[in-house]
Amino acid sequence: MRSSAVPALPLAQRVRGLEMPWNRVLSSASEPAGAATALGPWHPQEFAAECVETIPEAGGMMVFVFRRMDGAPLAFRSGQYINIDFPIDGPNAEPVSRSYSISSAPTEPWTFSITIKRDPKGKVSPWAHDHLRPGTVLDMLGPVGAFHLADYDRRARFLLLAAGAGITPLMSMIRTVHSLPGQADVVLLYHGAAPDSFAFSEELDFLANVDFRIKVIYCLGDRECGDEWEGRTGRLSTSLLDELVPDANGRQVFACGPEGYLNSATELLRTVGVDDTSVFMEFFSGDREIRAEYAEEVAIAGEIAEEIAATTEEYFESQPAALDMYEPEYDADGPVEAVGAPTEAVDAEAVVPVDAEVEIEVVGVTDENLAEAGPDSASDAGSTVPAGDGAAASAGESGDDDEIAVVDPAALPTVGQGEHTMSFVRTGLNVCVGEDETVLQAARKAGVKIPANCQEGMCGSCKVVKLDGDVEMNHLGGIRAREIDAGKFLPCCSTVKTDLVIDA
Amino acid sequence: MRLDTRRTGFSLEAPFYTDPSLFNLDMQAIFGQHWVFACSVAEIPEPGDYVTLDYGPYSLIVLHNDDGGVNVLHNVCRHRGARVLTDPQGTTGNLVCGYHSWTYSPEGDLIHASAPGEMTFDKSCYALKRAHGKIAAGLVFICLAEEPPTDFHETAKIFEPYIAPHELAKTKVAYQQNIVEEGNWKLVMENNRECYHCDGHPELACSLFPTWGLTDETIPPHLEDVWDRNQQAQASLEYRCRRYGLPYEVVEELDTRVGGIRISRESLDGAGESFSADGRRLSKKLLGDLPDFRLGRCSMHLQPNSWFHLLGDHVITFAAFPISASKTLVRTTWLVADDAVEGVDYDLETLTHTWKQTNLQDKAFVELCQQGAASPFYEQGPYMKSEYQVEAFINWYVQRMREHVG
Repeated sequence: MRSSAVPALPLAQRVRGLEMPWNRVLSSASEPAGAATALGPWHPQEFAAECVETIPEAGGMMVFVFRRMDGAPLAFRSGQYINIDFPIDGPNAEPVSRSYSISSAPTEPWTFSITIKRDPKGKVSPWAHDHLRPGTVLDMLGPVGAFHLADYDRRARFLLLAAGAGITPLMSMIRTVHSLPGQADVVLLYHGAAPDSFAFSEELDFLANVDFRIKVIYCLGDRECGDEWEGRTGRLSTSLLDELVPDANGRQVFACGPEGYLNSATELLRTVGVDDTSVFMEFFSGDREIRAEYAEEVAIAGEIAEEIAATTEEYFESQPAALDMYEPEYDADGPVEAVGAPTEAVDAEAVVPVDAEVEIEVVGVTDENLAEAGPDSASDAGSTVPAGDGAAASAGESGDDDEIAVVDPAALPTVGQGEHTMSFVRTGLNVCVGEDETVLQAARKAGVKIPANCQEGMCGSCKVVKLDGDVEMNHLGGIRAREIDAGKFLPCCSTVKTDLVIDA
Repeated sequence: MRLDTRRTGFSLEAPFYTDPSLFNLDMQAIFGQHWVFACSVAEIPEPGDYVTLDYGPYSLIVLHNDDGGVNVLHNVCRHRGARVLTDPQGTTGNLVCGYHSWTYSPEGDLIHASAPGEMTFDKSCYALKRAHGKIAAGLVFICLAEEPPTDFHETAKIFEPYIAPHELAKTKVAYQQNIVEEGNWKLVMENNRECYHCDGHPELACSLFPTWGLTDETIPPHLEDVWDRNQQAQASLEYRCRRYGLPYEVVEELDTRVGGIRISRESLDGAGESFSADGRRLSKKLLGDLPDFRLGRCSMHLQPNSWFHLLGDHVITFAAFPISASKTLVRTTWLVADDAVEGVDYDLETLTHTWKQTNLQDKAFVELCQQGAASPFYEQGPYMKSEYQVEAFINWYVQRMREHVG
């Protein structure tokens, strides 16, 4: 037993913003651990899932809880949907395919749920309500959709706008926020048709009660309501927004509901000053055009899933570089908020080691995966090797340069004696060196020009970039740790441990 | 020189703007004795990052040290006086003079000087000279005096609650502009301390109410509509500030303390978010943990050499570094959230447009005045009511000079 109560942390000491749990694993491990791989929610898969529970919800809705038949967790981002094949016309007929938002949180990935509202005139929803039972196995494709929370959000201030069954993906977001630590500020403005039509209201009330970051406002639109109604009334309007969410201007808005509702929301949000780029919408029920877009997206997802199924390993290796993920930096006190750069490639294989037998490709685009990721990420991950010949030497200065020039250290003339070879790619000379000689001494003897002053590792004036190999450096403050991390070293106080390739 | 009989409410006599010997006195009495704004932490974000600053005869290195503070060193090699660091900014471990490679630690200690044949050479006698440095709310100040004015911590206590929510330590430099104005540094500051001339700033007038410095009594008829709009915008800004717990009240102690300050949070025209044509945000990433883009501008004036605008989406710092009696470097720095991406969250041209134009216009005004001060027919002119801050600046200046001359 504690003798005294531990005081709560002041708000300012909470983790800044929200970070999804898979984010850190993906950005810190070059080869994601098995579970993390399964949880990296970056690609759609085809899988079969078994219904394990059905829960009636208010508003004519039913929650269907599933688990994957292969036992894996379902990896997705909060707000995404899955495409499901419903064998409505029997096991031998063509199934009817529909997309449904996931209403559960990806932080509880071992089961997942979708929530379907019964539409008496619809084809799928009555079937699901009447026939989909624990034990039913369905083929699924997912996750799909760009309507989701970011992997890392330093300013997790959200306005969630839901109308009717549009609550489904937003429910996932609220559950996700609640399950994670960190600073967040969530306002849900939830429009319904009747006092008893608000799905998840008991859970929402509970979450709003126990989690000060979450605020829930129910609103009945302009319909008649009894005296017992304690929520709001009135359609979505600027005055309603101004009154309930006066700081909407600084929030990201996630809105889901019928098309008319969302169209009016678009205009209203503009009027109250929310930037268009801060508004994300999911058209829950849409016209033909929107359905066509869904179909297109699902088709693309299907292709990706097939691709992955064919070449799983390759695909995983190539993924992190292509991800548009945001990662916080960490120090001893936790996440450092200075972030925002897309995650760099974490593939340890990305930089091809330079071998005397192998040609060095300049500009760091060293394999196909990186080439696909584009020149920017390539220049982050790769190394820059100026070529030995004059034509490419200047091009090699810029990591963004598209040209690929090549230098072959083996083709350079070699001077000196010693067990290791230093290839000075800019000078165009190989210099042999012993382990008792500094890089600078050997280089100068061979006529390689490296400016140097103190020659004790203090002034830093001889600093050069090491493209490959290892040295032992005994500097006296002339170089900073981040320069060393960037591949620089001081030749005046370094001896060689292996063959070297040097940008000088 | 008439420090003792200054005509209150009038501009200074011409030699204060033109005479090199008075400029030298300014450098000793003002820039040699007081806390001077140097840069923001965003300009030296990591240990080892430095800027070099020149004003008058002084040259200084402001270096982010490993303890998160700043080392301020005179950029004068103790061997033959060469500039040790010659770049305006950079990153360094130890500091090495390019002339004879005398090498100093980041603390300024001489740690290496090859001295063939000099058996008695004592390195410990030749450290770089140090000055005082201080970071407050992400702003870096330096002071060359042996004993700096002691009231600066009170000044910092005034501005910290206003500035801190913008979290300058989590911003980055989007752009920095250096312009050399052919004018005395005091004319630069005088020009900044009033908006009587704001008709000459068409870009700025889109978002900055040109009624700045005016009151109900002094508002001219042609600005009455604007004045009403301004009053309404200010009321709703203050309402928001109270909601968010952000201070907005005017604190004005420009000439009543050594660390002279004016700070407030004031509304902007249009959408009220930023210095754009329609008042809308110029960067899409909110600074710090601010909840709302519509926070107007937090403006701060500090004596003797700086002014600031802090908005929800970006921050602009301004510093005047005197070069000579008739020449001043004006440095403007635009800071955005450090995770804002150029071309995605902000467009650099749009972000900097208003103040780039305004700075050029101000440069022209200052230069017109400098030319006038050089005319034998120049005579002191009266400051208008709306120019009370100019008077306060000059009053502050004259007090400091009197103290120095004693």
